[in-house]
Amino acid sequence: MKTMRSIAKVVGTGLLAALLVAGGASSFAQQTRADAEKDPVLKAMLTELDRSMSQLQLAGFAKPFFIQYRIEDVDESTAQAEFGASLGTGRSRQRVALVTVRVGDAKTDSSGGRGDGAVELAALDQDPVALRSTLWQATDEAYKAALAAYAQKQAALKQVQTPPQADDFSQEKPLVSLAAALQLDAGADADRWEQRMERASGLYRGIEAEKLADGAIEYAHADFRARITTTWLVNSEGTILRKGAAVYQEAFGAGTQAADGMRLDRSYASTGTSLADLDVAAVFEKHVLDLLGSLGELRKAPLVDEEYHGPVLLSADASADTLRALLAGGVAATRPKMGTEARTNGPFASSFHAQVLPGFLDVVDDPGLKSYDGKGLLGAYDVDDEGVPAQAVKLVEAGRLEDYLIGRQPVRDFPHSNGHGRASIAAQPRPAIAVLKVAARESSTDDQLNNRLLEMAKDRGLANVYVVETLGGVHSPRLLYRVSADGKRTLVRGAELADIDQRALRSSVEAAGKDLFVANYFEDVPETVLAPALLFTDATIRRANEKNEKLPFYPPPQ
Amino acid sequence: MKNAAQRMRLTVACCAAALLFAGTPLLRAAEPTPVVLDAMSVELQRAFSQLGKQDGGKQQPPYFLSYTARDTSAVSVTAQYGAVVSSMGGRYRSADVQVRLGSPALDNTHGAHRGSAVNTVQLPVVDDRQALARSLWQATNAGYGTALDNYLRVKTEAEVRAKEEDNSPDFSQEAPQVHVEKPAPALAADRAEWEARTRAVSKVFRVFPDVYQNEVMFAAQSSTNYFASSEGSRIVTPHGAAGLVILAATRAEDGMDLFLETTFQATTTAGLPAQAELEKAARELGQRLEALRKAPVTEPFDGPAILSGRAAAVFFHEVLGHRLEGQRQRGDEEGQTFTKELGKPVLPEFLSVADDPTLEHYGSTQLSGHYTYDSEGQKAQRVDLIQNGILKTFLMSRLPIASFAQSNGHGRAQGGRMPTGRQGNLVVTSTKTVPEAELRKQLIEEAKKQGKPYGLYFEDISSGFAVTQRSSPQAFQVIPLVVWRVYVDGRPDELVRGVSIVGTPLAAMKRILVTSDKSDVFDGVCGAESGSVPVSAIAPAMLVSEMETQRQPQGTARPPILPIPGAELGTGSTSGKGVSQ
Repeated sequence: MKTMRSIAKVVGTGLLAALLVAGGASSFAQQTRADAEKDPVLKAMLTELDRSMSQLQLAGFAKPFFIQYRIEDVDESTAQAEFGASLGTGRSRQRVALVTVRVGDAKTDSSGGRGDGAVELAALDQDPVALRSTLWQATDEAYKAALAAYAQKQAALKQVQTPPQADDFSQEKPLVSLAAALQLDAGADADRWEQRMERASGLYRGIEAEKLADGAIEYAHADFRARITTTWLVNSEGTILRKGAAVYQEAFGAGTQAADGMRLDRSYASTGTSLADLDVAAVFEKHVLDLLGSLGELRKAPLVDEEYHGPVLLSADASADTLRALLAGGVAATRPKMGTEARTNGPFASSFHAQVLPGFLDVVDDPGLKSYDGKGLLGAYDVDDEGVPAQAVKLVEAGRLEDYLIGRQPVRDFPHSNGHGRASIAAQPRPAIAVLKVAARESSTDDQLNNRLLEMAKDRGLANVYVVETLGGVHSPRLLYRVSADGKRTLVRGAELADIDQRALRSSVEAAGKDLFVANYFEDVPETVLAPALLFTDATIRRANEKNEKLPFYPPPQ
Repeated sequence: MKNAAQRMRLTVACCAAALLFAGTPLLRAAEPTPVVLDAMSVELQRAFSQLGKQDGGKQQPPYFLSYTARDTSAVSVTAQYGAVVSSMGGRYRSADVQVRLGSPALDNTHGAHRGSAVNTVQLPVVDDRQALARSLWQATNAGYGTALDNYLRVKTEAEVRAKEEDNSPDFSQEAPQVHVEKPAPALAADRAEWEARTRAVSKVFRVFPDVYQNEVMFAAQSSTNYFASSEGSRIVTPHGAAGLVILAATRAEDGMDLFLETTFQATTTAGLPAQAELEKAARELGQRLEALRKAPVTEPFDGPAILSGRAAAVFFHEVLGHRLEGQRQRGDEEGQTFTKELGKPVLPEFLSVADDPTLEHYGSTQLSGHYTYDSEGQKAQRVDLIQNGILKTFLMSRLPIASFAQSNGHGRAQGGRMPTGRQGNLVVTSTKTVPEAELRKQLIEEAKKQGKPYGLYFEDISSGFAVTQRSSPQAFQVIPLVVWRVYVDGRPDELVRGVSIVGTPLAAMKRILVTSDKSDVFDGVCGAESGSVPVSAIAPAMLVSEMETQRQPQGTARPPILPIPGAELGTGSTSGKGVSQ
């Protein structure tokens, strides 16, 4: 009996999904539920989804109106080394299931509480009973939590006069999209990378005395990481998704102290979506050597002046970090506090159609941009983590904020997702940048920017101006140059960068560079920022005055 | 193995002096010294001779420095719902650097600063002397800085506070130990085999639809501990451990969460039971849990009870053993239950309690609590804690207390923690014994005498430290898992659920009337301030004249609404869950 009913259900939903896909997202190959069911993971997910949608109900309470299952398979290979010797290699695989259950309706539902969804470890084996059991356990928990959250929300809504400004959940067309699962590149073999990391982290050995001028390398760490994520998603609207993402990274970091105790750190990473994106060994090692050399330069470098106000040129590298810090949070639309008329939260909550950048800058977030300058972009994808096709979103046009990044949680005037619902492993999705591209309508070459910087110095009668080459944190320049009127550059240390905020972005950017720097951020949700160098008319550089720790109490071993 | 170890044992005092003050390490045995021990000895000596000597001696030199390195290869596999959910393997090396400043009478570890003296660093897994030395240098530097800071604070606090009740020194004087065994062999644990085995054990629960969650966890490790100190100790000891835990959980219709677990421990995977035995254990757990789910809820009861050997072992470990740890007798925060009871009766005179880490086996069972040297480099010893009911001593680390100035080889810690007095193999023995059947008869007689319709039989008790997903670890507590009513009128024994022990469990120990003539072993992992350490406890079943119990507080969450998937493939047993249509 039970089996018969579930077959009928399978056919029904499959047809519906196929019809909707045919009518809707025509750019995708016309895949069907039948195709999906050839994948044992999807088949188990669909079976349990059908059972839950048709049978899950606590007597006297509402049935779920929406159930979604997402399983992520994370296959990771790592190799780490310190001071020239391996700290070990690792290969790990894990599957995590996130179950979301919503009760109520799209206008007002159970979402938004802390207990949205339930997470369980899922079977690595393709065992349908085990996979379903995990989903069953999580669905039961999520449904009970949703009932409690829904009751709480109903009560909370009675406490406020102003009604919510948007629905709780957006209506989206179901999608069947079955990309082939990716495999970890055989070249990501940990043993091979272990040797490369040992070599890179040991390069300080021959040159410490010569390059560091009596300083000691206190850490020299090399790190290789490759991660393949396969995501399966099904929901009760008929969406069926399988997609893969790959990230590869080799990184190096080293640190020492200046004679006055100041900590000096440098790091470098080569990151991409395939092994081919990474530096070849010789290039990576050249970067490591340069970086070790720069630590020696920094040890000898003078302290920055106590305080400086004036023009500052941020390299494209430094601009990428700065733009990400100042724009990424604000352009992602999130549900405002209940009872308010706000559209979203953060610095751009009320900036729709307002000027947020100078008129010569445009910003687009385009998850479909998969490579730039021949380099794989980590933030790119075809379908987001809520099963919505990715769209390029023109966020800022001629300096004005014209759009937001939206997931399936609508905000006022933005009732639909634009494919930016992104999630870290086992977490609920939230709108986030994917590939944020900032470009200038009128741009300048590096020489033009440097000349303009010197002109500004002359105009204002300044003896020096500054160029930020790389940043540690958003306010912590690692390579900072003091540039004298004749263009001579002096490396200085111990600075803090201040007064670069949203206001400065809007009114103090004088010019922007032509070439865009590709900044790939390998984080829980990988992101990419493409940014030009930015010349600010007014910023502050001052002494960081951080605690200078004691120098080593005794010399390092030889 | 033992012969090799003895052959490599070296004379102590002269070498220690040489190590500390000669320019190069002189220790060379017939067999080459392991590179890790050698590299850390050299670096330790360099650090000890240079720290505090720079800057014209303005900074105080340490009076004690030790390095403890652990080289561990481990495999762990977890299965649930009949499939593998996690499978990992790897090798990891780390070192704890301990720096002591001041003097043994008062140092940077005093009082609440104790934990600050240990600094941990990850070490290379390859025998690269230069990298090993550089990592240790970096950690020693950091540790010395922390020690200077803490010592300053200790001195300030000592000046402003009232005199302490126990003004014992902070560190005991002990003879250095030199004992170099061969490093541990490569880990013999076939991951694919254990994936198949845990998967099969977990699959057993498919015929128990009322077992809502199950987890089968396998873990094995092979590790070598290296210890070197500025006192001249140099120790290398290998360790092996393999274990399998089967956990099953359910929820009764009234919302009470119930779980049962079975643990198997051994020193190698070969010491674990055969597959058929593991699957049988899972089946028994499933049957028992389904029975427990339907069992009546307990009622408050104050009367006679039997603790099975295993239950008594857990009970003694948690309720008595932890209170006999030396550091619990010192400090305002501690309970000091037994501090003033030395030389006094604390148990009936037919009972004695010892802790003997030197025991490797009890019968055919390998004991988890076995070790040869403790985490402070002291030789393991048997300690007679309670003799004929009289309290004789405590479990001592190198932290002295008013009554005892020396370690007795029980300073234990997990990596990264400061060692404290801990149990190894706790052994409870009795001179007043009867066969098990007679024990049961005496329970019924005692119940009749007290006018009770039944006595209780505690078949299984959890240490409260069982690894469960739903409850956090709690030390020193006991959670009865399987309890039976033994009726005086000859009715069959009846399983009850929700039993919780109230009152002072310690008091129940004084009311032990008689014990069985057979002992049982509990092997497990114990958690306390100094981290998780493997332990064993051995005890006979016991009849207690009075044990007060009540109903445990229970949850109100409902059991799952839909039946577990695959239930239709099982025995077809229906569970009466409220399936809605």
